[in-house]
Amino acid sequence: MDKTFTDADAHAYADRQLAPGRVAEFEEAMARDPALAAKVAEIERQNAWLRKGLAAALDEPLPRQLIDAARGAPRRFPRFFAPAFAAAATLVIGLGLGWYARDVTLERAGMPTSFPREAAFAHALYASDSKRPVEVWAPEEKQLVAWLSKRLGLPLRAPDLNSAGYALVGGRLVAGNEKPTAMFMYENSARQRLTLQARTQNGSDETAFRYAVEDGVGVYYWVDDRVAYALAGNLDRAQLLAIGRLVYQQLAAADDRR
Amino acid sequence: MNDAALCGRVRSGAGGPHAADPPQRTWGDVRTVAGPPLPESDMLAAIPRLRRYARVLTGDATRADDLVQETLARAWEKRRLWVVGSDLRAWMFTIMHNVFVNQLGLAARDARNVSIDGDSTLAWHLPVRATQHVRVELLEVLRELDRLPTDQREVLVLAAVEEMRYEEIATVLGIPVGTVMSRLSRARERLRRAMAGGDDAAHAPLDVARG
Repeated sequence: MDKTFTDADAHAYADRQLAPGRVAEFEEAMARDPALAAKVAEIERQNAWLRKGLAAALDEPLPRQLIDAARGAPRRFPRFFAPAFAAAATLVIGLGLGWYARDVTLERAGMPTSFPREAAFAHALYASDSKRPVEVWAPEEKQLVAWLSKRLGLPLRAPDLNSAGYALVGGRLVAGNEKPTAMFMYENSARQRLTLQARTQNGSDETAFRYAVEDGVGVYYWVDDRVAYALAGNLDRAQLLAIGRLVYQQLAAADDRR
Repeated sequence: MNDAALCGRVRSGAGGPHAADPPQRTWGDVRTVAGPPLPESDMLAAIPRLRRYARVLTGDATRADDLVQETLARAWEKRRLWVVGSDLRAWMFTIMHNVFVNQLGLAARDARNVSIDGDSTLAWHLPVRATQHVRVELLEVLRELDRLPTDQREVLVLAAVEEMRYEEIATVLGIPVGTVMSRLSRARERLRRAMAGGDDAAHAPLDVARG
């Protein structure tokens, strides 16, 4: 019988893949050699932490599209896991740790991160950015809307807020959340900015307009069918409400035309 | 209204008020032409693990779901190649890995490691009822996992988290078992040193192990 055990054996034992015939001997070897036992223990510890860190991902609700795909639904869209979209998604990845750290801070405090709160953070983060507030600019509005619609899996539009004095600056996908969130940014002649954010919402009973102030940013938010919207800005409540109504009317009018 | 909005309006769940599940009727023709159906409950059961590993591969939750959807579609298209009774999960992981590597190419695969701060914004959800101390430790582990070279991270997750057998991992990744073992060993050592506070080990930008 081979009595020498290699590094690979230690890994195999820790991963419960050591050949059954060698297990007893390996355990004897561990009893004689504390360094070997420590190595195995270290691997087992690491395994446990990795599993713990990635466990929650298994409990997330499944998107409808994946359930359909698992059942053999024919492709509804052209393959969108393709290089063109990879480029767009890569832009989204490298946005810094700050956003992620915020979600985690709130989790530690025991508060759920709600959409209005996230929308306020995202507004504060991007509206104040002078260099790159948006990823796709207004002249490319069609491409922007197409991109965001595909990402969210439902048809979006950028409402026209010119009657309220706000022009579209452009848009982006907001990173760091479990769900993709689309953002449209508007600006008035005084360079004050508003953001309209949208993301899919699973069966919520909320339909009413709600108002919240998070860190000095006003947020109007509502759920319309399966989409949650948040309009954010440093405006007073009445002004924000008026624009919120305009957005809502525009989106509702578009729905009726379909 | 296009299909996407219609999808959103369909109630999920098998116990709905409708007499039959409408989508399945229209898919009937497609299924019989290319072979018998893949086992539904196994396919559904595989989704969470596929999603999780897809996130590890892509570093982005949205791209991960795109990858899973593509993988599931491919699995159906190639279902004649699946040996009935063999490990469906391993087969699907293999398809997913191939789609990822072949469609994007190695450049994009490694681009996943590049970001402004050197940290990923992939937000893994931590266990709900974890203490402050545990959360801090988990964040560290996940961050260091993310900093591993791509090859090492993939092997480590498949071995430690998916608990796949080394031979299966070799098949999924298309490499020899010996390579699986050496990458696994390097990954674990690197992670160990990084967690022990060995900054020199963690920031070794030229050490792109391609073994």
